[in-house]
Amino acid sequence: MSELPEFKAGLVQAIPSLRAFAVSLAHNADRADDLVQETLVKAWDKQSSFEQGTNLKAWLFTILRNEFYSQMRKRGREVQDTEGIMTARLAIHPGQQGRMDLEDFRRALALLPEDQREAVILVGASGFSYEEAAQICGCAVGTVKSRVSRARTRLQELLAISGEGEYGPDAISSQVLGSGVSG
Amino acid sequence: MKKSSQATRRPTGDHAGGSDEILGPNSEIGRKLRAYYDELVSEEIPDRFSQLLRELETSEKPESGGKGAKPS
Repeated sequence: MSELPEFKAGLVQAIPSLRAFAVSLAHNADRADDLVQETLVKAWDKQSSFEQGTNLKAWLFTILRNEFYSQMRKRGREVQDTEGIMTARLAIHPGQQGRMDLEDFRRALALLPEDQREAVILVGASGFSYEEAAQICGCAVGTVKSRVSRARTRLQELLAISGEGEYGPDAISSQVLGSGVSG
Repeated sequence: MKKSSQATRRPTGDHAGGSDEILGPNSEIGRKLRAYYDELVSEEIPDRFSQLLRELETSEKPESGGKGAKPS
């Protein structure tokens, strides 16, 4: 009984990352929130199978990912991708260079195959190690590494980035723009 | 100088990250990736989630299995 509040606190803490991962997979905020909801319900039900002291965030990501793929199988692969890309295009606010940059990136990300996209997100953004990402995706560490590497190459092509290590003004402006704005 | 397997097993929840140099701070893709993700993470959390957790908490204890919060 005493572990309940702790477990719940862990769930609450993980919600922002779960949502970010879900949006990256589903390209759609509503679907993403449904995925997170399903994940929380499943996690709650399976609470007793979570091993205390292991990585709760990785455990939750695994549940969310499984849920995403099982929903995909059920629905068939509609045209969500194009839909996501259209939405992204409409959302561009003219004159906000940093934001524009981010929109370009989002579109490029949406064009990656799912396995590469999830790998690059887990390792490059969510802060998981290759080993943890491999566990979440149910594949070998080497597979994750090669997916990440292919994803990076593809993103570079899509964004026409030739040399790595450029430090443009975007890094700063996107930080500034990233905060602010309520909605 | 040796490469070795520098971090075979990290303590859980470590954010040191496995991205190595390939998506590290010198990588433009790496930085864009984190900017994209950080923006998502910093979004406001809809109320539905705290409400959901309250409901789960009051509905039943997880071990008892069965009825309650199962999706059909």
